[in-house]
Amino acid sequence: MFATKRLSKELIKIKEHLPPGISIVKSDTLEEWLMDIKVLDENPLYLNQTYRLKFTFNNKYPIEVQFIELPTTSDTPRPIPIHPHIYSNGIICLDLLSSAGWSPVQTVESVCMSIQSMLTANSRNERPPGDQDFVSYNRRRPRDINFMYDDDNV
Amino acid sequence: MTNITLEDLLVMESNSDRDDVVDLRSLDYVSSYDDHLMCPICHCPFIHPVRLKCDHVFCQKCLVSAITTFAAARDEFTCPTCRTHTGGVYLKLPRLLINMCDEIRVRCPYRNEGCEEVAPRVFIQTHVDKYCGYRLMDCPLGSCGMKTRKKGLDPDGRCLHELRQCTRCEGNIMEQDYGEHFSELCPNLQTTCPDCQTSILRRELKQHANSCPESIHACPASKYGCPIQLKRGDLATHEQTCPLIAMGPYFEAQNARLDSLELTIRHLKQRNEIFEDGLANIRTTLAQSPTAVPVADGRATTSSPTRRSNDPASSNSQSQIDSSNQYTATTTNYLLSLHESLREEVGQLSHAITDLDARASMAIMSECLRIKEDMAHTNAAVSSVRMQVQWLLNPRLHQHQGAQRTGGARTATPAGSSPAAAAGPSTSTIPLRPRRLSDSGREGTKL
Repeated sequence: MFATKRLSKELIKIKEHLPPGISIVKSDTLEEWLMDIKVLDENPLYLNQTYRLKFTFNNKYPIEVQFIELPTTSDTPRPIPIHPHIYSNGIICLDLLSSAGWSPVQTVESVCMSIQSMLTANSRNERPPGDQDFVSYNRRRPRDINFMYDDDNV
Repeated sequence: MTNITLEDLLVMESNSDRDDVVDLRSLDYVSSYDDHLMCPICHCPFIHPVRLKCDHVFCQKCLVSAITTFAAARDEFTCPTCRTHTGGVYLKLPRLLINMCDEIRVRCPYRNEGCEEVAPRVFIQTHVDKYCGYRLMDCPLGSCGMKTRKKGLDPDGRCLHELRQCTRCEGNIMEQDYGEHFSELCPNLQTTCPDCQTSILRRELKQHANSCPESIHACPASKYGCPIQLKRGDLATHEQTCPLIAMGPYFEAQNARLDSLELTIRHLKQRNEIFEDGLANIRTTLAQSPTAVPVADGRATTSSPTRRSNDPASSNSQSQIDSSNQYTATTTNYLLSLHESLREEVGQLSHAITDLDARASMAIMSECLRIKEDMAHTNAAVSSVRMQVQWLLNPRLHQHQGAQRTGGARTATPAGSSPAAAAGPSTSTIPLRPRRLSDSGREGTKL
């Protein structure tokens, strides 16, 4: 009840206005939303690319963190951006997406903007170390993974 | 200002009992409100706001749920907005802020039941408790289990959920809905048509609307663009003058013609594709056998007139495809005949090969027989030679054994050369017996 009310309020606001480079793709249910983000500056790594973000909400939202990833399979396949904190299976290593770093004041819009700015600030054309191992062995949800947040530059 | 610890806040929240209170967060907010009056957690105007040391304000309930689900230890709780470490909570906030939140207008939560009340949020609880007639109450008869709107409750405390038969339509209606049904909803009720004002039964209203002379209808040519809408009675006169209706049959015919043409085009496209495929096939075949071209050209001229007369309406491209088709047909014929003659030749060759095969095998067989005979002869000769050699060898073997026996008796002689020396002269002393072919049987028994 709490989650659906809050989400429908967010949805109304999102449909009125969204920051540039962010657009909502699908919000039929209040359980899963798809958003598209673009990097707006001239960063050659992400030039003219559109990335899709999948938000999966549970009924504890916004008190508990939701499940946010870059889906690898969808109807229109989107690339996974190359970034030292984004694994090639679409899992994003960002502290505010974890249980410890999440805050209930975050919204779908603010999360999108955080990821957008994380991409904008990046200049390294590389995947995280151990990407292949992580991609082949990980079966956990992102919020249960104990990432080490060691890089304050992005 | 009152400053209490987080623990006190949690205890306070768990003690407060709000079961029968309207959930202010699920209300429908009518008037728009400033984003600054919005709790960042629930996105509603603040409900019982509290303030943290860092001056960020949240609903009391939202803050409590944020504290209880906070991952780290409780005394390390940080402000959800600015992540400043916070130890205590201020319960008192400026009256101004609370008033601004309270005066936001909301709809009555029983709107779905029919209540149209819109009131400032602070009054909605009083409205629901005392005035809202649409609030659902338990039926006075405990065993019934159904709910009734507050205003529909029977003053004598009777259950209004028993079924009662309508005297007009004979349907079964609940007691509490009977009044409304009887005066407004019953299908057997007399009603007046909104267009022609005649009175008819409610259930026949739909049928009547299709035939009512006063109801407004669109011109039958509206699909061709006539914008006119008239009463049914006046429509007949309009139909006589409407130019679009006059042109209607022409439009219909044009549409039908367009459809048939599109169908034809589709067929022709398919045919064209088939022909092009065939043409490509023939081209590749011709590239492999260039000698076939002139003959095929010669034959193409003979069959072209009959082919062309089959399809007089065909366009230019069609005739091109047609002639290429004849070309392909004659080429195919030529290739087929070529194929036939080749097949015959191959047949003859295979006959000859089988003949040759038979003859060769016969020759090989006779040769084999001859060689076998020769072999048998040779075998016999060889065995007779072997026997003779054995016979010849035999006496020498005997002599050798005898010499060894004499040698064994004279063991005292140390010189190894003496037996050989003895054997040497002995062989030379034994005279060769004359060859006797008939002796073979005797030799066998001796051995």
